[in-house]
Amino acid sequence: MRDGEDLLERRVSRQELVKLAAVAGGAGLLAGRTSVAGAALSRLGAESGNLRVLDWAGYGYDGGQAMFAAYVKKYPKNKPKFTVMANEADALSKFQAGVNWDLFRPYVGWVKYFAESGLVQPWDTKLIPNFKHLNPIMVKAGQYKGKQYGIPEDWGFDAILYRTDKVKPKARSWGLLFDDRYKGKIAWYDDGSTMLPMTGLYLGFKDPWNQTDAQLKKAQKFLISKKHLVRTIWSSETALWEAFGSGDLWIAYAWPNDWVQMKKKGLPVVYMMPKERALSWIGMFMLLKGTPRPNLAHAYVDAWSSAVSGKWLEDNYGYGHANLLARPSSSDLLRALKIDNPKAVGSSIAYIDRDIPRRDLYAKVWEGVKSA
Amino acid sequence: MADTAEVGTSPAHRSGHRRPRLDLTGPSLLGLPVAALVVFFVVPIAIVGAYSVDALSIRSGPHPVTLTAWRDLFTGDPFLGHVYLKLFWKSVTISLIVSAVIVALAYPLAYYLALSGTKRKYVLLLLLIAPFLTSYLLRVLAWKVLLGDQGPINSLLSTMGLQSSDHPLHLIYSRFAVMLVLGYIWLPFVALPIFVSLESLDRRLLEAASDLGASRLYTFSRVTLPLSIPGVFAAFLFVFIPTLGEFVTPSLVGGTDGYMYGNQIVDLFGTGFPDWRTGAVLALFLLGVVAVLTLVFARFLQPSQVAAD
Repeated sequence: MRDGEDLLERRVSRQELVKLAAVAGGAGLLAGRTSVAGAALSRLGAESGNLRVLDWAGYGYDGGQAMFAAYVKKYPKNKPKFTVMANEADALSKFQAGVNWDLFRPYVGWVKYFAESGLVQPWDTKLIPNFKHLNPIMVKAGQYKGKQYGIPEDWGFDAILYRTDKVKPKARSWGLLFDDRYKGKIAWYDDGSTMLPMTGLYLGFKDPWNQTDAQLKKAQKFLISKKHLVRTIWSSETALWEAFGSGDLWIAYAWPNDWVQMKKKGLPVVYMMPKERALSWIGMFMLLKGTPRPNLAHAYVDAWSSAVSGKWLEDNYGYGHANLLARPSSSDLLRALKIDNPKAVGSSIAYIDRDIPRRDLYAKVWEGVKSA
Repeated sequence: MADTAEVGTSPAHRSGHRRPRLDLTGPSLLGLPVAALVVFFVVPIAIVGAYSVDALSIRSGPHPVTLTAWRDLFTGDPFLGHVYLKLFWKSVTISLIVSAVIVALAYPLAYYLALSGTKRKYVLLLLLIAPFLTSYLLRVLAWKVLLGDQGPINSLLSTMGLQSSDHPLHLIYSRFAVMLVLGYIWLPFVALPIFVSLESLDRRLLEAASDLGASRLYTFSRVTLPLSIPGVFAAFLFVFIPTLGEFVTPSLVGGTDGYMYGNQIVDLFGTGFPDWRTGAVLALFLLGVVAVLTLVFARFLQPSQVAAD
C-alpha cells in the first residue's frame, strides 16, 4: 500500500469500480462469498456517511472540536454528527426509540451495565494506536470479562469545594456537606449513584455501592434530615459556577475544574479530598452493536485519545485525560488532578465509581430525597 | 308507471318533500382536527398509560402488566412512603397561592384598563403584554441577579441596616423565588381574560345601578364583580393548571426548597436510572386531577348562568 493510505482512504478509480462490480456480481451468483469477493464487497461497502456520536454537551461542535480535529482532517467525508445525551439515563431513554448511533459515552460506573445489556460490543484496541498511552488503571476499569468495552478518556474527582474566607471545616471530611453552621450555603450533586455511596462512606458503611435495604433507608433518612441546609442540588456545572460565583453558595460537592473556575473568579477556594476518600469518575467511549462504521469509530476514539487532545481537554475544560502524556498548563489543575500520581484515581485518595447492582433502587431512594 | 323504489320518482319526491341528503359538512370539517386530536393527544396518553402499568417497558425482558406503581402511589411505598402525594400537595399549594395572588393583583389592573374609559386602553394593554415578547429565560435570569444573596435587593436591605450583610435573605433558590417568578411570568396571561369579561360588560347595567341610587362600591359588588366571575375563574384556571405541572422555573430558581411535582416527573424519565413506569403514573395522576378540576369548574365559566341569577 502507498504511504499514508489505508483501506478507507483509497480512492476507487472508474476501471477499478467496474472490475470490482464484476467480481462482486460474480460472487453474488455463487452460494457463498469467496475471500476475493468478500474483499471487493467490503471495499465497495467501505464505511461511509457521517459518524453518529451520542455524547455529552460540550464535546461536539459546541466547544469540543479540538478533541476530534485530527479525525475530521483524516476523514473529511465522514464528519461526526452529534446528539446530546444529558446523562446515561437519557441515553437509555433515547435507545428506546432505536439505537441510531455508532458510539456513545457513559461513565465508568455503567460499564458493566452496558456490557451486559447487549447494546454494545468490545473495541479492537489494535485499531487505536494511542491506546498504549492510556492510564492502565483506567483501562482496566473499562474492561468486562477480559474484553475492552470502554476506552477511558476524560476523568476527574468528586470532592468538596469550599470558600476559605467563609467556611472553617471541623474536619477534612464529607461531613462539611452536612454542616449545620452553613445552612443555605451548601450544594449537593444531582445523582443518587454518587450521593448515596458518598453518604455511605461518611456513615461508615462497608460497601456503599451495595447497601442493604436498612443501610439505604438510613442514608435516605440522614440526607432528608440534612436537606434543609442545602440551597441547591446542581446538575449543570454552569449553574453551579453561577451560584457559587455570585456568593449564593460557599460549599459544594464538586469536580476539580469547578475549583479552577472559582479560583479564576478570584474567590479564595480550596478543593478538599475528604479522609473517607473522594470518588473518581472516568468517561468511557463504548461502541454500539450493529454500527456500520466500526473502523471510523475506532479512528474517532484514537483522535480523542491522543496526547494533544488530552492536553487541550485539561487546559480548556479542566478535566483530566487518560493519556499519561497529556499534562495541563495550569499548575493548579495539575495539583487538583494529582496528575503526577497516575494511581491517584483509584488509590488511597479516591474510589473509582463502580457498578451498582441495585442502581434503580438507589435512583428511587434519591428521588425520594429530592421530593421529600 | 313510475318505479316507487327510485328516489327521484317516489311519491314523496313528487309531492315536494325531499329526502334529506347526508350532510357531510360537519364530519368533514371536524374530521381533520379530531384525527389530529386522536393521533397527537389520545394515542400518546394511551402509550403513557401503557407504560404506567408495564404493558410497555423501558426494560428488556418480560414485563407482565401490573398495577404496582399505581398502588404504591396511593398506599405508599416501602422506601418512599407517600412522598409523591405529599409533593403533589406541595405543588398544589404553591400553584394555589400564585394563582390567587396574581388574580387578585390582575383584577384591578384589568378593571382600570376595561372600565376607566381611557382612550389609551389598548396601548396600555399592549404594554402589559410586552414582556411576553421577550425571552422567558432572559426574564428569569434577570430575577436570579436581582434576588441573589449579594444582589441589589439584599444590598439595599443591608445598606438600610435592615439585614446584616453576613446573613442576607436567601431569596433565590427557594419556594418564594418560584412563586415570585411564576407570578411575574403569568400576570399578563391572567389579566387578559378578566379584561375581556369586564370589557364585554353591558355598560347600561352600571348606569342603571347608578340611576337607582347604588354607590360605586355597591355597584361593583352586586353588578360588576358577579358578571366578571366567569372571567376570573377562567383566569384562575388559566394559571393554576399550567403552574401545577411547572418544572422549568423551579429548576432555574427553586433550589431544593422549590422542587415541584413536575420536576419529579422529568427526573423519573431523564435522570439517575429511568423509571418510566412511575413517571407515567405521576403524569397521568396530574392529568386526571386537572381533568376533574376543569370539569368541576367548567360550570362556573358559563356567563349565561351568572347573568340569569
